[in-house]
Amino acid sequence: MKKIITSLSLFAACLAYSQGSTLIINNYSLAYDFHGNIQALNVAGGCYPIISSNNPDMVVVPADSNEINGLHLEYKNYRDQFGTSLYPMAAWNVSLSATNQTPRAWNHASLLPGGVISNNTKWVGSKFQMYHKGTNNPETFFNGNLGADVAPCITNESYITTPYGDAEWFTITSGGNNYTYIQIF
Amino acid sequence: MKKYFLLAAFATLSLTAVSCNNESAAVNTVESMKTPEMDNFSKAFKSLGDPQNRPTEEEKKRNTSELSDRRKALLVPASKALILSTGVTEAELTRKTNGDMSAIIVWATQIYSQKNNEIRNKVKTEN
Repeated sequence: MKKIITSLSLFAACLAYSQGSTLIINNYSLAYDFHGNIQALNVAGGCYPIISSNNPDMVVVPADSNEINGLHLEYKNYRDQFGTSLYPMAAWNVSLSATNQTPRAWNHASLLPGGVISNNTKWVGSKFQMYHKGTNNPETFFNGNLGADVAPCITNESYITTPYGDAEWFTITSGGNNYTYIQIF
Repeated sequence: MKKYFLLAAFATLSLTAVSCNNESAAVNTVESMKTPEMDNFSKAFKSLGDPQNRPTEEEKKRNTSELSDRRKALLVPASKALILSTGVTEAELTRKTNGDMSAIIVWATQIYSQKNNEIRNKVKTEN
């Protein structure tokens, strides 16, 4: 009996975690740090709510930080990233309409996994700029609006090629699970 | 007799000192504690950036962000190996995923993420 309950609760836990989408950033570049504003929005229609990183405005994933050495960025959802990710986002900008935008802390009740905002938004892109490793010097030609095209809400490029490196955005989706990747080479 | 005791005590002390020194010298990292299957899985994602594995012009023009089947196929062998390394059998793998590439990769990604967190917590407490 105990076994059944344990396995049932494990199964329930798996289900709870299988909702929503996870963002992973792998920076394989050895020369450049990734500085990017992360964006999510309602892709089902109407664009709003729109979510974007607020504190920090640009999350920094240093050169050579990826799943190979375990230093990648992984955001499971707006809330849990704060406690589980190496790059905690303390607050998100939440726009409910064109005239309503407020920063909300990571643990704001509206940002709970399973909540309306969480259930109705997806990662859509990142406005990014690469900086020379460990400095405040941008590489002027290595930047862009990386992500998905969601008409009429946002226009992005899924693959950006520069002489200094490439940046790519893609998703892998199966059932209710969605993994969104940013990879910098 | 006393001499032997002293010698033994001294030997123990110096051995302890040496071994403790070694421990601090060999700082465990997430990378060094990963299993070969985890390592291959993470390297498969990096391989998507190899020149021959980058998206073709046609793939770039598709109206979706979903990774193309050609490139998903590049992730499948390492994903399968990672899933099987947890004790899952080939039969279970086939039954649960129906051979669907996305299902296999997503499952492996969940395993990778969980194992990576376990290692990270271990490294934190050990160092």
